[in-house]
Amino acid sequence: MKSILKIKNLKKYYGDIKGIENVSITLNEGDIYGFIGPNGAGKSTTIRCIMGLINKTSGTIIFEEKKLDSDDINIKKQIGYLPSEVNLYSDMTVKEIFDYHESFYDDINKRRKELVKLLKIDESKKIEDLSLGNLKKVGITLALMHEPKLLILDEPTSGLDPMMQNIFHEILMKEKEKGTTILYSSHVLSEVSSICDKIGFIKDGVIIKEDTIENITKDNYTYLTIASKDIEKIKKDLKLKIINENKNEVKFINDMDNNTLIKKLSKYNIDKLLIETISLEDLFSKYYK
Amino acid sequence: MLRKEFKSNLKSFIIWTSILIVIFLVVYLVYPYIITDDTMASLDEMLKVFPSELLKAFNMDISSINTAYGWLKSEGLMFVLLIIGFYSSMLGSNVLLKEENDKTIEYLGTLPIKRSKIVTNKVIVSITYIISMTLILGIFNYIFLSISCEFNKLEFLLLSITPILIGIPLFGINLFISTFMHKTKKTVGISLGLVFIFYLINVLSELSSNVEVLKYFTIYSLAPTRDIIETQSIGFINIFVSILLSIIFIFLSYIRYNKKELV
Repeated sequence: MKSILKIKNLKKYYGDIKGIENVSITLNEGDIYGFIGPNGAGKSTTIRCIMGLINKTSGTIIFEEKKLDSDDINIKKQIGYLPSEVNLYSDMTVKEIFDYHESFYDDINKRRKELVKLLKIDESKKIEDLSLGNLKKVGITLALMHEPKLLILDEPTSGLDPMMQNIFHEILMKEKEKGTTILYSSHVLSEVSSICDKIGFIKDGVIIKEDTIENITKDNYTYLTIASKDIEKIKKDLKLKIINENKNEVKFINDMDNNTLIKKLSKYNIDKLLIETISLEDLFSKYYK
Repeated sequence: MLRKEFKSNLKSFIIWTSILIVIFLVVYLVYPYIITDDTMASLDEMLKVFPSELLKAFNMDISSINTAYGWLKSEGLMFVLLIIGFYSSMLGSNVLLKEENDKTIEYLGTLPIKRSKIVTNKVIVSITYIISMTLILGIFNYIFLSISCEFNKLEFLLLSITPILIGIPLFGINLFISTFMHKTKKTVGISLGLVFIFYLINVLSELSSNVEVLKYFTIYSLAPTRDIIETQSIGFINIFVSILLSIIFIFLSYIRYNKKELV
């Protein structure tokens, strides 16, 4: 599959203070990559390095086999960016800012009209009069209207109401169908798990885990809840870490595969057996504890 | 992009130009009433008290303030040079930095446009406004002076364009300083202070031949109002140094801005 964005050993230091360290990410065509981490983990620093707003200390950023140069107009034309906080010229109207944006690209008026209709944007309003949510919608339109190959979204749904969030996710899925590659930075794990193919966890400027959502949740722990009169024997037999205990019912953290588990439990009388996939939220807590 | 830049800087241009126009309008309207033979005689008496060096510093030894044109050549020019100096300095400090201060750089910086083009557009707009302000004031003065008194047209023309010789280098110096900053709050004091210091150094350099060397440390010596009045010539060296300084500082700003961390 064609690689769209390849980041290798990206490092950013602010003097002696570490921003990010050896961040390596690869995004193939059509991927939606969830970039997960709490505030201050290094998500925005990574994104700002990609966008050329700050200078990297070392490492390479390759866009379609070409070293990314923040002054390369042709590359910039193929990237759409939505910052976490949308700041636009307050004295302009939405129409003026869209016209201004359009002047940098070729023939993007049709897509603009589609997005304005879809996101229900009032173009006559002044930027300074827009609510946070409406400003975000303008930002989304600006990031998408030139139909970029690579879309970089930093906390894209903050400020959007649930209905608009759904519309936005629908737009993203349509973009994915068209082959747009998306880097989706967020700490809202539920939306990342529902739309991303692959996720990377970043902590203190370092990527600590990267895989597909399927693998990340499969290869890790599950929660196992068992209710049985033989619970004491089961506890001794399974030797699993107990996280919750209530009379004859115990909740374990399980790292056995299902076949081994069922074989072991077949000797006992089981009143209740519940195996829960560990959620992304739980994984998040696990990694960031 | 150029159109947007012109539009976003228009408001401050109108305000600063209006300040100058209002000052001159008031002077032209009240001057005929306050400058009579009697008041002139008492003014002359008062001026005799001042040291000749001080009168020289404000061109008052070579031009009489008994006409509006005489006032323009002394105090009037001081206002013009200071106000256009302030405007140019503020423009230099703010024109690039405002994008960072207002955080709009996160939008502008990601558009398909080279950083050098961003600087070029802002420099074009700023220089156009500095020249326009000088020209508008020049035309305004010409009209009012034509009505009220006789004056030397060549001398007037040369004096009218001197603000450009200090305005553009001041713009360049402040533009360069701004490439080291991230907030406009810090640069306002620097740009205003710089104009005051340069002006003060220039006045000091004209007070005595002992400190004449100071003229090499101030932009204001590039506006040779005294020489123009005395020789009816602006001096090639002043134009050359003004252009050279402007080019150097604007060029250094390009280099700095291309490497600058924008957020």
